Amino acid sequence: MSVLAVTNLTKRYHRGGKPFAAVDEVSFDVGPAETLALAGPSGSGKSTIARLVLRLIEPDAGRIDFEGANFLALSGAALRARRARLQMVFQDPLAAFNPRATVARVLDDPLRIHGIAPRSERPHRIAALLERVGLDTGLAARAIHEISGGQRQRVAIARAIATRPSLIVLDEAVSALDVSVRGQILELLLDLQRQERIAYLFISHDLGVIRAVADRVVILDAGRIAESGDARAVIADPQSAVGKALVAAMPKLIRNRP
Amino acid sequence: MKRLRRFLHTPEAIAGAFILALLLVMALTAPLFFPGDPQAIAGPALLPPFQDWSLPLGTDRLGRDVLAELFHGARTSLAVGLAAAAAALLIGAVVGTLAGFAGGLVDEALMRITDAFQTVPSFLLALAFVSIIGPSLGVVVAAIALSAWTGPARVARAEVLSIRERDCVAGARVIGMHPLEIAFREVLPNALPPVLALSSVIVAAAILTEAALSFLGLGDPNRVTWGGMIAEGRAVLRTAPLLSIVPGVALMLTVLGVYLAGEGVVESTAVRRSLS
Repeated sequence: MSVLAVTNLTKRYHRGGKPFAAVDEVSFDVGPAETLALAGPSGSGKSTIARLVLRLIEPDAGRIDFEGANFLALSGAALRARRARLQMVFQDPLAAFNPRATVARVLDDPLRIHGIAPRSERPHRIAALLERVGLDTGLAARAIHEISGGQRQRVAIARAIATRPSLIVLDEAVSALDVSVRGQILELLLDLQRQERIAYLFISHDLGVIRAVADRVVILDAGRIAESGDARAVIADPQSAVGKALVAAMPKLIRNRP
Repeated sequence: MKRLRRFLHTPEAIAGAFILALLLVMALTAPLFFPGDPQAIAGPALLPPFQDWSLPLGTDRLGRDVLAELFHGARTSLAVGLAAAAAALLIGAVVGTLAGFAGGLVDEALMRITDAFQTVPSFLLALAFVSIIGPSLGVVVAAIALSAWTGPARVARAEVLSIRERDCVAGARVIGMHPLEIAFREVLPNALPPVLALSSVIVAAAILTEAALSFLGLGDPNRVTWGGMIAEGRAVLRTAPLLSIVPGVALMLTVLGVYLAGEGVVESTAVRRSLS
């Protein structure tokens, strides 16, 4: 059974008085411990889908089933409790945290809110989380703006796995990182997936990264699904015009990757 | 230390800080230099200044020591100004944050209430409030805060409207944080700097409003206030003008000092923002 099933999801906005669909009848599903990539050019609706799936914005039509239950039917405290199982990592980790927070506070919040550990035990949990994502435990006392971009994204991942989710939405989570750090973060994500059996909804415009991590890919164009299928097969031989354009835009160095 | 040096960068800020420091020293040392009741009779009535060095600024119509009254008046002015401004900023920040963060009907309701308060002349509101409840220091503070919270509320709301669209708020929602906790722990602290920039204007206005209320006889009768001293001196304005001029000048310098120091703080934070 799938962790996440999205059916005919639609979100309309008004642009200059005329309605247009940012997401238009999109359907897909993500299985346990699977990585599904959403690819597409800017404005194709991939980030809107991420925000819809996380209920940060509400859809106009369609259905979202998470862990076998209607996710759109939840509200208030029930929705907040359910959020423990469905986490997100943002593109810019500096913008995604309160600029005044310390690393310890950022990791303490989910543990406290979901009652995962009593107050006295939380410092140990925080240290364990930092170790799990390959960071020094001494980093806990530092402010978010004091650590490097790569460290910050590792903290973001630690925060996402703190509540033991079954699905993490990664919205361009490695796009802002430089190439060497990007590789390490992707390895960390794959390692976590193997051990904790977390499914990823991996949103990116970079097909090179997608080929390296994703099982399946959905290529979006102007809010609609242009094509979908096995990640390597689609990238090797794209059928849609958008798919061909995205493949053509891949850096040539990618050829050397496995 | 660095921040202080940047604050003391301009001559205006130095002058403002100097005046405020002087005022603070006056307020703090008043019970030291002038123990006992400043409203007690200390000598002959209407003694001109610089005649008797035990009463350097002379005495007023009832023979009270003007210098002692001036020192104790600084206490009242400063206490009322700071307390009223703190209360106004607190109410304004909370109302503005709730309105901006909740949006919809809550926003509409809170902002219409704010409009209602803003359309009533603030001094009239304070006057009505004090004359109904009765003059005491707490009531005066409440009256001034009641007419000064609308500015901070509007600024806080505008700032919150932009902050609530940031990823950090989305991130807080994703981990299941309660909306009220997001509003007051994630959003409000980040919306504070422009709200606090209003504080010097509010403190200055609060000191003036308190003086005006005292001048009209609606101040706390058990405390010396500069406004009350001016009102007292009015009766002998032709024969002893200094009785009104001295507290008047003190009042003017205080408001000027608060403004200048406030400008200095805003300038120094503006520099820091543009640098970062």
